[in-house]
Amino acid sequence: MGRYKIGDRVTVRDATTLFHTRTQGYARGSTGTVVDTRPEWIVPEDEAFGILENGRHEPFYVVRFNQKELWPDYTGFDVDTLESEFSESWLMPAGKERK
Amino acid sequence: MSTTHGHAPIQESGQLSEFEVLELAVRELAIEKGLFSAEDHRRFSEWAESRGPHGGSKLVAKAWVDPAFKERLLTNGTEACKEVGLNWLEPTGQGTPSDYTFFYVLENTPKLHNVIVCTLCSCYPRPVLGMSPDWYRTPNYRRRMVRWPREVLAEFGLHLSPDVEVRVHDSNQKSRFMVMPMRPEGTEGWSEEQLAAIVTRDCMIGVALPRPDWTAQQVPSQATPSQAKGKGGRK
Amino acid sequence: MGSTPTQYDTLQRQVSNLNPVDRLLLDSPYTISNELYSVLRHVLHDVGGQPDTPVPFTEKGEEPWEMNTYVTCECLGWRGVWNSEERRRRENDLGMTQYFGLPYYARWITVATKSLIDQGLITTDELGKKIDEVRDRLTKRKK
Repeated sequence: MGRYKIGDRVTVRDATTLFHTRTQGYARGSTGTVVDTRPEWIVPEDEAFGILENGRHEPFYVVRFNQKELWPDYTGFDVDTLESEFSESWLMPAGKERK
Repeated sequence: MSTTHGHAPIQESGQLSEFEVLELAVRELAIEKGLFSAEDHRRFSEWAESRGPHGGSKLVAKAWVDPAFKERLLTNGTEACKEVGLNWLEPTGQGTPSDYTFFYVLENTPKLHNVIVCTLCSCYPRPVLGMSPDWYRTPNYRRRMVRWPREVLAEFGLHLSPDVEVRVHDSNQKSRFMVMPMRPEGTEGWSEEQLAAIVTRDCMIGVALPRPDWTAQQVPSQATPSQAKGKGGRK
Repeated sequence: MGSTPTQYDTLQRQVSNLNPVDRLLLDSPYTISNELYSVLRHVLHDVGGQPDTPVPFTEKGEEPWEMNTYVTCECLGWRGVWNSEERRRRENDLGMTQYFGLPYYARWITVATKSLIDQGLITTDELGKKIDEVRDRLTKRKK
């Protein structure tokens, strides 16, 4: 069982990544809601460099964002949303953001 | 919609492509070194060539006429695919290296429209839809669909009202997605096969809606220029 | 491509035209700001939200070499030589000019080749020989 459950508010960490990532820049620092859970997968940070046998596995979550909160000048409507998936270590409970 | 798009030659005809040379050189070396076999390549090619949007069309049409199947498809997409002969474990026994085995179907409703994109590369449900369209892989589509979805959809001829939630799915990990559009009016009493014909690839990406008079083979003549866009090359 | 001095000069001029210059002159500066560094090290494939203008969304269809590239890359994954995430990471490693300069499947076959070399599974000299041999063979076949 992972740390988060459906309905939890989470914020995507804004950590430095060099060379490769699957955590989109636009999602970093943004807060959304966990709408689904995924199995434990190997994290892409290890997989991308061929670290398979000792690769870290983590639960993944589907997070839904309001588009207006993702983009400063979003031209659509309030109802519009975006979903993407993040491994557990890329998320933190909303409201615990630094600064 | 594929029939409306022109095929632009990528190079002068008759000229040998250096990419063709490189691919064959690498493949021959890999086979000589025993990294994989010629038989592996042949088997995988046969599998890939057998995949196409018809797989997804079948799933949607069956779901439209069979509510119990629809429930199974939405609950466990990978498993439900087997009922129409699509096995995500093919052709290797463990799935393909790039598509994995986690398939999710996204249901459109009168208040919700789903659309898929992969901003980081071009993740696409090949086992049920075949190879992705070229535009789906372009940085342009990847850049804009997440941030200006209504504008991009409008460029495909799809205008959605303000009370319909546009939900963009940025496919960035091991899940693969497909959109299940709503069954359009005017298809009452149709067979599964008739229904499947109007569920085009673009409907399952989420950049188009099915219409009773629009199949992959037969685009209606009254199509507006924006709906039949794509003629001619990009360059 | 570079068989005569004049041809080589033409090639060099074309290469220098590829300098990663887009409004900003970058030609191995002695020093750069942290701000510019953060732009330069932004992971290339992370393009979501970058402003761009509408273009026609056209379809070309797969050339045989493109389908073969896809299958070759998948076979290498199937038999454990690499994995797809490694491929995607290696595409970023290409750098901006090649990432955006190469056609989609040309990126794939380029990084597959590099992976085999990096892993010591093939060497650059045997690859070069093989490329020349394959080119000769295909050229004769096409004639």
